[in-house]
Amino acid sequence: MSLEFLNAFKFMKKESFLHNLDPRAKLVLALTYTISALLFNQIIPLLIIFLSLIPLVIFGKILKQWIKSIRGLSFLVLFIIILNTLFLSLSFAIAMIFRICIMVSAFSIFFLTVDPNDLALSLISMKFPYEFAFSFSLAFRFVPTIANEAQNIIDAQQSRGYEMQKKGFINQIKNLFPLLIPLIICSIKRAFNVAEALESRAFGSKKERSYYYTIKFSLKDWIFTIYLILILIIFIFIKIQFSVMPDWLVWRLPV
Amino acid sequence: MITIYISKDLPLIIIENVDYVYPNGTVALKNINLNVHKGEMLGIMGKNGAGKTTLIRTLNGLIRPTSGDIYINNENTNSKSIAELSKNIGLIFQNPSHQLFANSVEDEINFSLKNLYLNKEELQIKTNEILKKFNLDKYRDRSPLNLSGGESKKLAIASIICRAPEILVFDEPTLGQDAREIESFIKLINTEKEKGKTIIIITHNIEFAFEFIPRTILMESGEIIADGPTQNVLNNNFLTERSSLILPQTRQLSLALQKIGFQDINKAVSKNDIIEYLINFLRNKTTSVQEE
Repeated sequence: MSLEFLNAFKFMKKESFLHNLDPRAKLVLALTYTISALLFNQIIPLLIIFLSLIPLVIFGKILKQWIKSIRGLSFLVLFIIILNTLFLSLSFAIAMIFRICIMVSAFSIFFLTVDPNDLALSLISMKFPYEFAFSFSLAFRFVPTIANEAQNIIDAQQSRGYEMQKKGFINQIKNLFPLLIPLIICSIKRAFNVAEALESRAFGSKKERSYYYTIKFSLKDWIFTIYLILILIIFIFIKIQFSVMPDWLVWRLPV
Repeated sequence: MITIYISKDLPLIIIENVDYVYPNGTVALKNINLNVHKGEMLGIMGKNGAGKTTLIRTLNGLIRPTSGDIYINNENTNSKSIAELSKNIGLIFQNPSHQLFANSVEDEINFSLKNLYLNKEELQIKTNEILKKFNLDKYRDRSPLNLSGGESKKLAIASIICRAPEILVFDEPTLGQDAREIESFIKLINTEKEKGKTIIIITHNIEFAFEFIPRTILMESGEIIADGPTQNVLNNNFLTERSSLILPQTRQLSLALQKIGFQDINKAVSKNDIIEYLINFLRNKTTSVQEE
């Protein structure tokens, strides 16, 4: 059992159109796509939104990691299909799969292309208190660390004879339970250690801070943000006018 | 300096042409070939990043070789789950906090024993026995995360030894341990060796390896660069320099004595050899002074 897919949310420095954008523009991207995904529960509009993310992933040079994050959703996908098909319909199940894929992809793009330090700076520039911005960026940086921690616990449990490689969906879900308590305890302990380390380095002693780096919202960031807002407006318009939209847009599976 | 071990018995562990490449493309193991016989004690030494930990993690299937085969008891490990392999191989991690996860010291031992499918009574008896043996009884209800470094290392070892695996693999067991703790660890491995267990130890502690481990392999950049009796491997200046190791103090002492005229001290390799050599020398000296 491997939690390697969580690395698909780990920032990697690269030279690309997406990496060079301001973190705030990328936050708008994540929110735009999340809101758009929540607007619809039909297959075709959600498929269009999902497909529109792919060029961004390719231009952002994060295709490999993005595929990993989508692959990591396989359990959830199976869960959604079973529950929705049993209680609602297969059409709705497929639509929900696209919805979850859009939301995960939007945040995967954000996490993969935003440097945690830049994220803190952008939050501060949005007038968030420094302590909040720092904690947020720290939490963000700890996603892969927690994934490592979870992998260590899995390795330790398997090394002591715990059978985690049992086949079957129910078994795989059951296998996750013994992992949760130690992972929570380890994470709390780590949080205390980090807090002590920060305090011992005089974190919060000075109210006024100056910054070595500053970030600027440039012209390309404005263009990208306006483009995203326009997309969101179009989607909201489609949602409002959905009853008069062409038939193919509201297509459903016969079952 | 490669020594080939020839034995009539089939080795307990056979590693054949094993390579391992991490998903990010880092080559961690290159064409590893190694045989370990039952009851043998093997040391693995080398620089940080040489591939030592990766090698031992392939033994119980935590890492599956990219190519090559590993046979334990003449069975290919590829077809077995980690849990199945762990019946034979007890791997003690370098960092005990990576190995301990239960709510209490007692639960930690229970977890290992439960996977042996013991009944409730047997489980309790065995847990009590292990806690007493490792002197952890007084910490029974304490969280493993609140133990001291030495105690948590002891608990990590206890949690593996209670399963009585045939092969014990230790990753840096002496790291961060004081002299008394190292002493009790040596006692423990001697007891396990007497029971016929096969022991593999990764260590940077050259003095410890020199005194207690009969055979050592040296690794560099994912390859085995030397395999032989520990005293031969670690007395070789070329190999120790290549692996960023410092010559053992006994070797340094014998070289210093050689420089001031004790030519035949070169034959003395271990601490006991040197002590014996010096006692004999002083005895002869005293006798010759008395005769004069």
